[in-house]
This record gives sequence, C-alpha cells and structure tokens, in this order.
Amino acid sequence: MSTETETGTETRTGSRTRTGAGTGDDLRTPPPRSATDPRPDPILALLARVTPFLLWQSARRKRREPRPVDRSLRLVVTEVRQEAEDVVSLRFTAADGSPLPGWHPGSHLDLDLPSGRRRQYSLCGDPADRTTYRIAVRRLAHGDGGSREIHETLTPGTELRAHGPRNAFAYAPGGACLFIAGGIGITPILPMVRAAAAAGADWRLVYTGRSRATLPFLDEIDAIGAMAGASGRVTVRTDDTDGIPTPEQLLSGAGRGTSVYFCGPPPLITAVRDAFPTTGAGGLHFERFAAAPVVDGTPFELQLGPDGPVLPVPADRSALSVLAEQRPETGYSCRQGFCGTCRLPVLAGEVAHAGSPTARRTDTNMLICVSRAASEGGRITLDV
Amino acid sequence: MTATEPDNLVLTPRDVQWDWTGLPMHYIDGDPFTTHFANVLNILLPEGEDWFITVFQQAVPMIKDDRLREDVIGFIGQEATHSASHQTVLTHFRKVGFDTSPYTDQLRWFFSKMLGDRELTGKKAQGWIIDRIAIIAAIEHVTAYLGDWILNAEAIDRTDHNPEILDLYRWHGAEEVEHRAVAYDLFTHLDGRYRNRVRAHVVAFPVLVYWWVRGLRYLMAADPERIAGRDKPRFRDWFRASRKGVLPSPKSLVRLYFGYLRPGYHPSQYGSTTQAVAYLAASPAARAAHR
Repeated sequence: MSTETETGTETRTGSRTRTGAGTGDDLRTPPPRSATDPRPDPILALLARVTPFLLWQSARRKRREPRPVDRSLRLVVTEVRQEAEDVVSLRFTAADGSPLPGWHPGSHLDLDLPSGRRRQYSLCGDPADRTTYRIAVRRLAHGDGGSREIHETLTPGTELRAHGPRNAFAYAPGGACLFIAGGIGITPILPMVRAAAAAGADWRLVYTGRSRATLPFLDEIDAIGAMAGASGRVTVRTDDTDGIPTPEQLLSGAGRGTSVYFCGPPPLITAVRDAFPTTGAGGLHFERFAAAPVVDGTPFELQLGPDGPVLPVPADRSALSVLAEQRPETGYSCRQGFCGTCRLPVLAGEVAHAGSPTARRTDTNMLICVSRAASEGGRITLDV
Repeated sequence: MTATEPDNLVLTPRDVQWDWTGLPMHYIDGDPFTTHFANVLNILLPEGEDWFITVFQQAVPMIKDDRLREDVIGFIGQEATHSASHQTVLTHFRKVGFDTSPYTDQLRWFFSKMLGDRELTGKKAQGWIIDRIAIIAAIEHVTAYLGDWILNAEAIDRTDHNPEILDLYRWHGAEEVEHRAVAYDLFTHLDGRYRNRVRAHVVAFPVLVYWWVRGLRYLMAADPERIAGRDKPRFRDWFRASRKGVLPSPKSLVRLYFGYLRPGYHPSQYGSTTQAVAYLAASPAARAAHR
C-alpha cells in the first residue's frame, strides 16, 4: 500500500499498520536535501546504510520472554454496613492477610462479582490504612444488576477477585479546593476532603442529594467539619428542603483560581461543566467515563479481507470487540470514535459512519469502535 | 515520589478541538526563532507519533501484564490525539501559504521506511519491535522533560503570545508527563537490559537533535513572513531565548542526555504528576473535551 508516500500532509489516508512493509528499493533513495537541491540527503543516506547493520544486530541480540505479571487481588468481605437508604458500605481485606496496595484519593477498584460482572467502585476509606479497602454502593433498582448483586449476595466472608486500585480522578493538592458531591458521588470525594483537611488546605464541600436519609457518611463529614478550623466549610443541601440545585449554586463557592472537584450524576456533570467557565475558578476535575456500552445497535457481518473469514457482530457488541477477539493485534484506544487508532480501510459494504470525520480521515476508512453496517445484517469487508 | 503524588493513573485520550484562525505567524514573543523552535514539534510530531502508535500496537499482543496493557492502550490514544492536534496546525499553515510538506515527506520516509516494519517474521520481527520501543522510551525521556519544562515556563506567559497554541503545547506536555513512564515500563517488561536501553538512547538523541535542527532551518527559511537577516537559526538566538526563559537551555539538554544513562533511572523521578493533573483540569481545550 503506497498511499502514505503519495499523499500530502493534509490527506493522509490508509491504515497505519501497513506503512513501511516491503520497501527495500525506497530505502536506498532517501529524499532530497531540500526543495531546491535534488541530491539525496547525505545524513539520511548514511543512516540508510547503517540500518541494515542495526537490524542484523537486533536479530542476534539475546531476548528473554516477558515475565507474566498477575496483579489481581484476592479480597474477602469483612463488613457490610447500611450507610443510608439503599446504600451499603463494604470493607475488604486481603484473603491471605497481607498488606494491600497503596492508593491515593480518587482511586477506584475493579471488582469481579460472583456472577462474572466487573464493576468499578471508588475507594472511600483511609489511604493510610493498608489492611482495609472500603467502598460504598447505592442499590439501583433499574441498573444493570451489579449494585443489586452486591446488595443481595455479598456478605462477610465472601471472596472476590479485584484489580487495581487505579486512579481516573486524581486529587492534585495545592491551593483552594471546592469539592462538590452528588449523592453516592461522595465516595471518591470523601478521601480528598480528609486529605485537604489534614493538610490544613483552604477547602469547601457541597454535598447534595434527594434527602438527608439518602446521603451516606454524613456522620463522618460532620466529624471532619467539626475539626479545628473547619467550621462553615461543609454545606449539605437536599432537594426536599432546598430544591434542586442549579450548577451556579453548586459552584458559588468557587473563587478565582479555586480547583473544583466534582462527582455526581452525569447530567449534573454536564451542567457543571457548561457553567464552569463563567466562575473564573482555576480547574475542573471530574471522572472521565470509559466507553458506553453499545445501545440500539443492529447485528451485521464483518469480513476480514476479500477472501477472509466472516465474523458475525451481534447487536450489543462493536466491530472492534469482535475483531480484537480474533486478532489481538487490532489497535484501539478511546473506543469512543475520536482518537482514530482503530481506523481501518473498507473494501466493500456500506458503513454507517460514527465518530469523528477527522479521526477516520477519509470515508473509505471506518472507525470500527463505533461504526456499524448501514443496514441490519449488512456485510462490511475490511482490508485487514 | 512523595506521599501526595497521585499514581496508577488511568490514561485516557481527550477529545480536544482546535481553531487556528487568526494565529499570528510568530506567535511566541513575536520572535521567529522561538516560534519556529516550537513549530518543529508541529511538523515532527504528526509523523513521529504515528510511528510510535504503529510500533506500540504491534507490541500490545506481547504484553503479559494487564495493567501495563491498559497503560499502553491509553498511551496510544493520547499519542494519536497529539498527532492529530499538531496536524491541525500544519493544515492551518498550508492554508496561509506556509508549506511544510518537503520536510514532512522526508520525515515520513525516515519513519515509515527506515524505521518501518521491514519484511521480518517471527523472532526477528519481535526483536525489531523491542528495539524500536527502546528508541521510543528514549524519546519519551525527552518529551517528558519538554512537557515538564513547558508547564513551568512562566516566562512565556509574560511575553506576547497566542494563548490557544500555548494551551496546545501545555496540554500535550501535561499528557506527556502523565504517561511518561509507559514506554519505559513497556521496554522494561519486554527487555529491560541496561545495555539495550542505553544503546537506543545514544543513537536516538542525536538523531532527534538532527531532525530538530533540520526542521528549524527549514521553517525559518520557508516562513512566508521571514525577516531578512533573521531567516537562519543562530546559536546566539537560542542562548538569548533560553536566558529569557522562553526556550529550554542548551545546558539543560546536555544534562538531559546524561540523565538517561544512570542505571537507576526511572521516568517517575522527573516531572510532577500533580502539576500535570492540575494543568489538565485547567486547560481550556482539555476541559472542553466532552470525551
């Protein structure tokens, strides 16, 4: 495939994975010195001469197989506690009693539930406690079942596999902070508030929810608020007495340069983000969510090359997840159609393009993480 | 690492958007040398980071550590958005009559042919992937340094500058600091020998400097608004700009070169994750990114 060399900078097409294959002849003719001097560039010509040596050396270098690393944790539930209406907290220790990996405020744990579901929960305990992890879970009656499973089946003594902790909502100490938590969104915020209070930082917390009965950890927050120098730093506002908060009300404590940390229901995140630029506050920290599951997709077929195998793509999966299962070398990253890593050239079939047109570069390419066939049961042939 | 420095970050690309309408030709300090020194990033990175991605994608199936695989996948997306973002500057340049394709064509030859996949199979192909990861790890040492440098270059804020392109460099720099250990950790996982790490660095660093100088010379000569007598890079321009604090100093680059040779080197010893996280929360482009 030669599109990479033929096209200009603006119209780069083609798949990345193919660049540079089988180009022995080109190697001996490096590009010219400059636009006006057509002689081959001497330094590049020299580099072209030494690379065969580098390759030869590379081939005879001793390699070792990478050592498999298993970072998963075996945890055991030690306590399940009702914290508020529909909210329980769970404490875990390592099944073998060893110390747990350290973490920083904002971190979460990936839990493998007994049903096989994997769910992420923010750690809301004390980072200094290396023997216990604590999470809190609100039961969502109309959720996908993960929270119900936790509420209904996990009891002290249950063993689980977990992964992490990892941090997608890092707390960067320094300067004034406004923490805003909506309901169960208090879980990542609570350790941040504790850290800010312990460091003697200038902080405020706005904690909002339907009613006091639905808000977990009010006692712990009162205890932090009662510490020396913390009076008036905590505002609890509930919809039943104060009405539904506007983003402006939530952000009203943000002065110039204040760092705002927000965790709450997604519609409120969007509203706070939209209102944020008018506040003059310094930075807005919120948790970025991973790719959403496929909803209202239709099944179609994916053919790998003109004579290649045909893979069925079910309604609830992406072309990427099906292809990656067959070919682990399939590249991807954002899974939301903007980074362009999974872009692949299409040979045949009509594609309902989704995601960023810039990321797919041309309409002969397809972002397999979000795009599907234009019609139900349609077949797309990829150049792979 | 201090107790308060966050770690184990989940690396995710950010869906940033840019608009360069009205960008002045000499957007930092009104100075062609400083501006084009920075512009080298715009012409070097779209090609270079595409190459990173190609190599890293091939390394993903070789990884036997779930956390590292997640990091590498996040790294790939961040590099892809960096590449696309710098490409938007080139598209703008072309629109205003500043053609950078002679340089980028050469660079494309370099990355896709010379450092491309070649026709290798089996162990040889794997070895060539690992050697190129060693090169990327060495280059990431430089990008992490530059990222940390631009986040702290307060002198630029005091000059006449275009805030949006400064945000491009700082957003990019902050993500480089955020993912600074990924390439190194990947190299360590797949090979990790000091000899191989240093060998790649010893070659890659001077070649990077060569491409930088070449790019700078090209840009200064091809600049449609070039000023007669100031269309060639001169060392004294660099010294002047670095004393002013608007460019990293030559001396710091020498220190950078030798820093990577230390046997106990790890990227986490340089730069501040806290500062990168704080900048990404404040960056207008990153904050506006809805994904």
